[in-house]
Amino acid sequence: AEAPGAAEAPEPSAGAAPYPDIGELRSLACDALLQESFYQKKKRPFLYCDQDHTSGPFLTQLVSTLASSLSGRNPLLAASSLDLNPKVNYYWHHGKEVVVHGHRKGRVDPVRFQIDDNPHLQIRVPKQLPEVVPLESNLGDVPVIDHKPSKLPLFKKQYENKVFIGSKVADPCCYGHTQFHLLPDKLRRERFIKARLEDQIEVVYRSNGIASLFAWTAAQAMYQGFWNEADVTRPFVSQAVVTDGKYFAFFCYQLNTLALTSETIKNNPRKNICWGTDSKPLYDVVEDSNVKGFNDEVLLQLVHFLLNRPKEL
Amino acid sequence: VFPGVRQAQWLTKTKLVEGLPPAVQGIMDNPALGLQELEERAKHMVSHARLWDTAEVAPRRERYCPMLFENLIHICRLMSGKFPSLSKRMLARNCRIAATWERESILLQVRGLSGILMNSMTPIPPVASKEEILATKEHVLETFYPIAPTIDLQEVNVYKELNDTGQCFRDGYPYSHPHTLFFLESANVRTDRFRPEQLRAKMLMFAFGNALAKAKALHGNDPKVLEQPVVVQSIGTDGQLFQFMVFQLNTTDLVSNDGIKNLVWIDSDQNLYERAQCVPEVKKRVVTKPAGISGFQPDTFKKFLALYLHGTV
Repeated sequence: AEAPGAAEAPEPSAGAAPYPDIGELRSLACDALLQESFYQKKKRPFLYCDQDHTSGPFLTQLVSTLASSLSGRNPLLAASSLDLNPKVNYYWHHGKEVVVHGHRKGRVDPVRFQIDDNPHLQIRVPKQLPEVVPLESNLGDVPVIDHKPSKLPLFKKQYENKVFIGSKVADPCCYGHTQFHLLPDKLRRERFIKARLEDQIEVVYRSNGIASLFAWTAAQAMYQGFWNEADVTRPFVSQAVVTDGKYFAFFCYQLNTLALTSETIKNNPRKNICWGTDSKPLYDVVEDSNVKGFNDEVLLQLVHFLLNRPKEL
Repeated sequence: VFPGVRQAQWLTKTKLVEGLPPAVQGIMDNPALGLQELEERAKHMVSHARLWDTAEVAPRRERYCPMLFENLIHICRLMSGKFPSLSKRMLARNCRIAATWERESILLQVRGLSGILMNSMTPIPPVASKEEILATKEHVLETFYPIAPTIDLQEVNVYKELNDTGQCFRDGYPYSHPHTLFFLESANVRTDRFRPEQLRAKMLMFAFGNALAKAKALHGNDPKVLEQPVVVQSIGTDGQLFQFMVFQLNTTDLVSNDGIKNLVWIDSDQNLYERAQCVPEVKKRVVTKPAGISGFQPDTFKKFLALYLHGTV
């Protein structure tokens, strides 16, 4: 996958309605958090199952209550479809390699990539999100990597090559609005800090955001009939929130081009762009029935994401 | 093993009324709520759950039954854009419930996983008038002489009488009133699923259990006729056929067979759609059954939504 990492979060969309009641939204968020971590009596989680026990249900509750409560302000949300544990797949060619073994030895093949993603939640909508920057913008250079993709754990096993946005082509909600990703237990912050790899913490969030959003936007573009020889005529924009249950990082992706094969990329000046924030905590700690250190900034960013819609709505 | 509805009525000292109560019917018939426009969305949700949700040809019941439930709840939740007081609801999954009571010197207990429970900050107002409640005095409970009504029930030694709504939630939980229980019969194999009659009996027993636990929490353990009856609803489905139930607990005096009885309204065996054809059926080169959802019954969806809105709108 390719796109440069970047700096700031996108601008909030302009809305004619007055600002939503942040106190109300804060109390909904805290209620969701307290229900899953304190009020509902649950059995103790199994080893390494913390995410399924608390953070997963909390994220589901948070998004479903916030999205419903904001649907009055965003008609796009009111027409949305909410997927729980959907599958997102994308398959593409990029670059060339020479076949090493076998009867085809010596021939030149395209390198094949397949992403099989499993976001925790996603919101699909019937209308596209507006573009952030024009289609032909050039905001920086893309790093060049020489070794094969199977050196990265992401592309080792490719079983079935498919393209899927979470629902079949017949579904009217064929554009992606926002995905929510839950980081697995084995990538906990504490583990990185213990292994003295603090600088790798943000890498996890960023790589998840970039890869998932590229796969989602490219699959959406394919559903609309574009492919590497018929490149997109309008940019495809989607958003993602990557979290471990407490720390949230926000990403916005604009797909400007699908032409990535070795033939089509030759004269293709367009680049795909991803904007993202660093991960910030939503709250400090939950003590009994109190949430301490709630961070309104993170909640506001989430609200802005959910309120994003085309200008005409 | 579960008894039928008639047995469950005896065990819970309940009189049965066919059909949904007038309060719920009133919500369905209220044009100001805009239920007509939602029919199209509901049809899409059925198509999504049964046809579009997977990259394979057709999803299995284990997947489409919960998915259909989530989709329908999503439409219902989005109504809180129009009716903000609807956001005072919280869904809880995997709640355990236990309630104990005595019927004619037999000690009975309902215990187990309630399925999915929707809680509300405010209780549902009673659906039967004072006259109707008093009229239940005349009603004679059906007996099954010479068969004991407890046939088919598991006999266990109860050493500890457990009895609280707080069984599932700690004190201070703001969403303290059980509103609606949802039962999803999503097993793929037909013999693993409850038959409609058994499902209705289970819905009645658990609605009763939740209502009894709430009544004891509010008014103490002494058996008495309740000044403020407790109302709990139940909805059960196998992904196509729906069972709707509204239960009103009028009395916790359950030992004797006379006096005020509890009331339950049941609307059974409501199909949401006739069939979901994933691949068109072709006989002798002519399409006999096109792909898609056929025989969609909007009334069933309206009942689901009306029960959701009940108590707040």
